[in-house]
Amino acid sequence: MVECDFPECNTFGSAIRFALELEKGAAGIYEDLAMEPKAASVAETFKALAAAHKKRGELLEFTRQQKLNEMILEPIQDIRREDYIIDTKTPKGADVKTAANFAAKMEATSAKFYLDAAKIAKNLMAEAARIMDKLGKESLANKAKLEAL
Amino acid sequence: MMMGYNLEDGGAEGIDEDAVISPLGVFGAVCPFNFPAMIPYWFWPYAVATGNTYIIKPSSQVPLTQNYLTKLVEQAGFPPGVLNIVNGSHEVSDTMMEHPKVKGISFVGSTPVAKYIYKHSAENGKRVQAQGGAKNSLVVMPDAVMDRTISNMLASFYGCAGQRCLAGSNLIAIGNIAEPFLKSFVERSKKIKVGYGLDESVNMGPVVSAKAKKKVLDYIDGAERQGAKVLLDGRKINVPGYEKGHFVGPTVLDGVTPDMTIAKEEVFGPVVGFMRMNSLDEAIDFIHSSPFGNAASIYTQSGKWAREFRYRCQVGNVGINVGLVAAMAYFPFAGYKDSFFGDLHGQGQDAIKFFTDRKVVITRWF
Repeated sequence: MVECDFPECNTFGSAIRFALELEKGAAGIYEDLAMEPKAASVAETFKALAAAHKKRGELLEFTRQQKLNEMILEPIQDIRREDYIIDTKTPKGADVKTAANFAAKMEATSAKFYLDAAKIAKNLMAEAARIMDKLGKESLANKAKLEAL
Repeated sequence: MMMGYNLEDGGAEGIDEDAVISPLGVFGAVCPFNFPAMIPYWFWPYAVATGNTYIIKPSSQVPLTQNYLTKLVEQAGFPPGVLNIVNGSHEVSDTMMEHPKVKGISFVGSTPVAKYIYKHSAENGKRVQAQGGAKNSLVVMPDAVMDRTISNMLASFYGCAGQRCLAGSNLIAIGNIAEPFLKSFVERSKKIKVGYGLDESVNMGPVVSAKAKKKVLDYIDGAERQGAKVLLDGRKINVPGYEKGHFVGPTVLDGVTPDMTIAKEEVFGPVVGFMRMNSLDEAIDFIHSSPFGNAASIYTQSGKWAREFRYRCQVGNVGINVGLVAAMAYFPFAGYKDSFFGDLHGQGQDAIKFFTDRKVVITRWF
């Protein structure tokens, strides 16, 4: 199980840090699920999704370092950390359906976070909003893929 | 940038001329409290990169940051004596300005001290670059993109609790944007969370000292006495757990007019003087009436207005939809008028010129 330290999302900086934790957690979940014997038939799918989430983390880090070209002092008030925390403790002995449902739930939470954050960032930080919107839609696509397993 | 230049037969046939760029010796900086890490780095890296040695005198209010950074520099393997820290008060500054081996002084701080540093250093034959105070106006035109403009302005007015020479101080609204802009600006200013600076949820920390707080509060009181209306009052802010902290909340003063003290003097706190004007010409005239000339910004989508502002404004740093006109290190930084005393600005190519001299060599071979 990967340990995540989700910060409060009350500034743009902390929202990006939250997103980085989200990606770390998601990658850890898929890595754990890929090792479940009863879900071995979809292990490669989970490994690919773990890699994809690591890449998303890199994109976020790049966004934080290179794309945030403005200091935003204002607090973010409409994103409650508690609404977006994901459970990183994967079910032991999970079969394909259980594992896929667990991951799909995480992807749904992830999608909600990114799409909500993108709406708030839209008028203030266009590039960050674009990246978050993209990640949110990707998470929704992942969710649909998992539900079809 | 240390490369010189030459011209064969430049003097006459058989006589070559070379210009050689050389370091001068020892330079020093007298630094302010507000950016204890960054400001010395406007100067000393250029000085040592061009072959000089350096003395930093940090502000006596914040002596520890440079001590720590200089230890890191030592650990990185810098030769002893190249970078030096001398903590102390004005006696240290005077000694640096008077010492015959010191070739030049850089300073950042208030205008009265900048004037003194400039004069006293020059009397002693030093090169000087002395950056003084500021009173920066941010002009919002009727076609400005409201949301992003306010977001950007909030960072300018309230970042570092307004304690920086590039902070916005006067907010000038042109025409009919004034009322809706002010309403939204005040609402969003109210959301700025004030508190302990190392708490990640906090957006604005305290001012530096009790003395600084008193000065800011005195300016607000004075503005109120002169007729400004306090729309958002940061004077009596309470930060639970830090009751003795020197906090001043975001403050917005409406009805500020050019004749008021608050419109003219540097406050160095999170205080916005809101002014209404009818035209860009009026705003530029007001900006030019200030003895300071550090920075000014315009918020507009009009290229015509932006261009006019850029060309006409007599300040060292102009922002177009940018409220904090802090250039990257490869561009020069300084203001005009009483915001700067000297010739060569900090950073950029100016820094190389400040820390070096040109020596001409004329060569003839018999």
